Amino acid sequence: MKTFYFDGKPYTAEANDTIASALYRSGVRVFSRSFKYHRPRGLLCAAGKCPNCLVDVDGTPNVRACTQQVCSGDVVTHQNASPSLKHDILSVAGLVDWLMPIGFYYKTFTHPAAWKLVEPWIRRAAGLGVVKHPVLKNYDDVVEATKGYRYEHVNLHAEKAIVGGGPAGMLEALNAAGEGLDVVLVDDQPELGGNLRYRKKVQNPQGNPLDAQKLREQIAATPNIRVLNNTSCFGLYEGNLLGMLHKTRRGGDHVEQLIKLRAGQITVATGCFEVPLVFKNNDLPGIMLSTAVQRLLNQHRIKVAESAVVVSAEEEGGEVAADMKHAGVSIAAVVHPSEVVAANGRGQVRAIQTSDKTIPCELIVICGLMLPEAGLLSQGGAVVVWDADLDSYAPQSLPSGLSVVGDATGKAFTIPRVTHSSDLLPKEGLDSGRPKSFVCYCEDVTSKDLCNGIEEGFDHIQTLKRYSTATMGPCQGKMCHLATAAVRSKVKGETLAETGRTTSRPPNPSVSLGALAGRKLHTLKRTPLHRKHEEHDAVWVELGHWKRARYYKAGPDEKSEKEYVQEEYRNVRDKVGLIDVSTLGKLEVKGADAGSLLDKIYTNKLSTLREGRMRYSVICDDTATILDDGTVSRLAEDHFFITTTTGNIDFVQQWMEWWKAGTDWSVHITNVTGGFGAINVAGPHARDVLSQLTDCDLNTEAFPYMACREAVVAEIPCRLLRIGFTGETGWEIHFPAECGEHLWDAVMQSGEAFGIRPFGVEAQRTLRLEKMHVIVSADTDATSNPYGAELEFAVKLDKEDFIGKPALMRLNNSALHEKLIGFEMQTSTVPGEGAMLVHEGRPAGRVTSSRHSAVKGKPIGLAWIAAELAQQGRAIDIQSDGHTLKAVLTTEVFYDPEGSRVRT
Amino acid sequence: MSFLIPCPNCGKRSVYEFRFGSEYKKRPSPNQPQEAWTEYSYMKRNEAGLQKEWWFHRAGCRQWFLAVRDTVTNEVHETLFPRDESPRSNTPSPQPSPSRDAPA
Repeated sequence: MKTFYFDGKPYTAEANDTIASALYRSGVRVFSRSFKYHRPRGLLCAAGKCPNCLVDVDGTPNVRACTQQVCSGDVVTHQNASPSLKHDILSVAGLVDWLMPIGFYYKTFTHPAAWKLVEPWIRRAAGLGVVKHPVLKNYDDVVEATKGYRYEHVNLHAEKAIVGGGPAGMLEALNAAGEGLDVVLVDDQPELGGNLRYRKKVQNPQGNPLDAQKLREQIAATPNIRVLNNTSCFGLYEGNLLGMLHKTRRGGDHVEQLIKLRAGQITVATGCFEVPLVFKNNDLPGIMLSTAVQRLLNQHRIKVAESAVVVSAEEEGGEVAADMKHAGVSIAAVVHPSEVVAANGRGQVRAIQTSDKTIPCELIVICGLMLPEAGLLSQGGAVVVWDADLDSYAPQSLPSGLSVVGDATGKAFTIPRVTHSSDLLPKEGLDSGRPKSFVCYCEDVTSKDLCNGIEEGFDHIQTLKRYSTATMGPCQGKMCHLATAAVRSKVKGETLAETGRTTSRPPNPSVSLGALAGRKLHTLKRTPLHRKHEEHDAVWVELGHWKRARYYKAGPDEKSEKEYVQEEYRNVRDKVGLIDVSTLGKLEVKGADAGSLLDKIYTNKLSTLREGRMRYSVICDDTATILDDGTVSRLAEDHFFITTTTGNIDFVQQWMEWWKAGTDWSVHITNVTGGFGAINVAGPHARDVLSQLTDCDLNTEAFPYMACREAVVAEIPCRLLRIGFTGETGWEIHFPAECGEHLWDAVMQSGEAFGIRPFGVEAQRTLRLEKMHVIVSADTDATSNPYGAELEFAVKLDKEDFIGKPALMRLNNSALHEKLIGFEMQTSTVPGEGAMLVHEGRPAGRVTSSRHSAVKGKPIGLAWIAAELAQQGRAIDIQSDGHTLKAVLTTEVFYDPEGSRVRT
Repeated sequence: MSFLIPCPNCGKRSVYEFRFGSEYKKRPSPNQPQEAWTEYSYMKRNEAGLQKEWWFHRAGCRQWFLAVRDTVTNEVHETLFPRDESPRSNTPSPQPSPSRDAPA
């Protein structure tokens, strides 16, 4: 015995109970309130097709109670009713239905303001469940909102996939396995068997009895059949890819697995489902489909009622009536479908009204039409049409690799077709209003609504669907598609074949966003020096996937971020600092033609670079747009070492490979970003710090600016690049990643006497901005070219051919539209990045970088501006956060414009 | 989109393993007129039917290759490495070098 809660009250459930069967056994008859009129609704299909038993389970809205297995402790609540399922004040909507005709929204909210006014009320009044965490701002919110849920992705392959574990699917699986195929058999129930599970004596079309247990045992004994239970197939996609959702429990957690199954062949054995008849009050609780009654009787051992009326074309009420009698339910009457006029009762069936009499009853069992479950087939490319001979929809023109067996073909396999489409609609009164005859249970669309819609001109099945919203609710047309088409056919005097069908699209059944998103994993990359930053109380910033130190909380006193950054900045300018730059993309380009490849890729000339030298270089595309920048060092005749911007390494590597593809160049490109860590030691004392750790001569004569050396530093073989991103003497040291901590410690120890301290990204940004060094993708975008970005020095047009050459030549000979230029503020306010430059009241450009500069004693920055305005000393306005700030443009580098500090 | 691409190196794989490059185009030589370069850089044929394309097997062999794909059905008819099609030399020649077929 399991215990769970429904609307706060405890209920017990038996081992194989669904939430719905357990509640029904305990006497619950009303499971939900309808979408629009808030009418009470009870179990209808009990097979996961109709919308009548949608409930909230443990905070997940719109769960079908009739297919959800009970788990002890589940908290189930009703949806769309207030204050309770029994007394829902919004059920008055049914009385003012004249206020809400078909096309209500189109007719009423013709003025935008009107909708804004009433939207919150309508949202509260109409609809389904409520999402508990509608706004997820960050990763922590996601973790909180999905507590108790686990989402996983699984990829599977099969030579043959069979969807549907009923008799046809099981037989097909055994056949295919007998032919030696690797078979996956998918079924949405906890156990194979399909209709054999709830019907007593089932025969195949040849009249031979089918035994579910025997078939299950045979399948279990066949090693090349893999069975997936509790797995619903929500879509069939190109390349025979099945989208499936497997729901299970692990511990107390709900587990949802999104399974992508790629199959050589797919056989659809989804069987058929029963659809209800249209008559007045056909939605009253106590009106149930015959298969639902059989499930409750035979599968869950529930005596569904004391007495019942069976609506059936068969005398004696056929199979379902026999099952009921066997269970002790007395059959008050058997009524032919064509004779049903209405059901009577308020909130519960009290009687059935036929053309000549009224029969009191507490349960009406409808033997409805059996329709093939053909959604996957039409998604797979089959054409599903109305077949008048079969009196059913039937799939045709199946593409290769897709087949169908059993009742899904439209032809009876194990389920007899008793009720005919001619009995679906009432003989008369299709367009009369009250009591209502429902066609679409999900959206509360009545036969009268459809008649009105057709009269208003929406008489094509596709426009009628969109105008009335029939077939657009949670059941996705399962219960109402045929009835909608039948109403349209009847009114227009056309056949069902002529009326056609709307399109079945995935996903159906629905899939939670969590399942689509998969595991709650968050990509994070740590540098080899991560622990060192932790030791120095780093405050982190996430750049791309990398976690970097924004600044360090140095010293015993708590200070503001501004003060910490300021101290780090000062330390680099006055003494020496070190920064972890391991996140730089790093490539090795080796081979006899390495120089030729790099000449093609970069705008600079690199084949002429001498060994031991380095060049700043830019990559453009053939429209001269800047793609990336970095340094290219030549370590040997056939060996280059390249750095790229942090986020661009994959792109740059693929770009180089692309241009190499199809050539006979002898060159290898290797991504060594993870293999090498890197630090930059910068400041007036950088040489003093490093010379204690290496025999390499660091004096400018031996190791000038823009030179590179391979040398041993602190016993570690390193690559030293003398660069000046910060504007001070400095070396970028690339080291084997695993030696990072040792090197860091050695540098810190050696630097102690000189006042060394680590600096973070924030201080680095200010240091480089004072030198007007461009950061690609921060200061440049998809419209930036090297001439505008003041990178002309890195373009060598005298090369034979390289990517971007023709476009750069054109740019070189024509006037620029925009230029990147520096500015100094006349105020103390730092304008935001992205702020607008204004000249004579008109937009003239945008700020790309801005920081307070200690050297200038005021805010500085870089901005793109119309080329004709890009002049030294021009006064300009900057609009930032609603204020107009005064600034002056400058082309002169803010700090050490001669560059003497980096060269000494 | 869930079609399969037969990588010339790794065999049939899901399209999610690949990166689409571009339509396959002849890159003009640098001294061809601006019209040729504009056509090359900005114009896409966007063929409805068979189209030759660059693809990169990102989650596999990390090789660029050419694929002939029917853009209507997403069926990939043929894949090949560019070197198998027309090996060409990139060594400088007195003539303007034969233009590479290249990414746009």
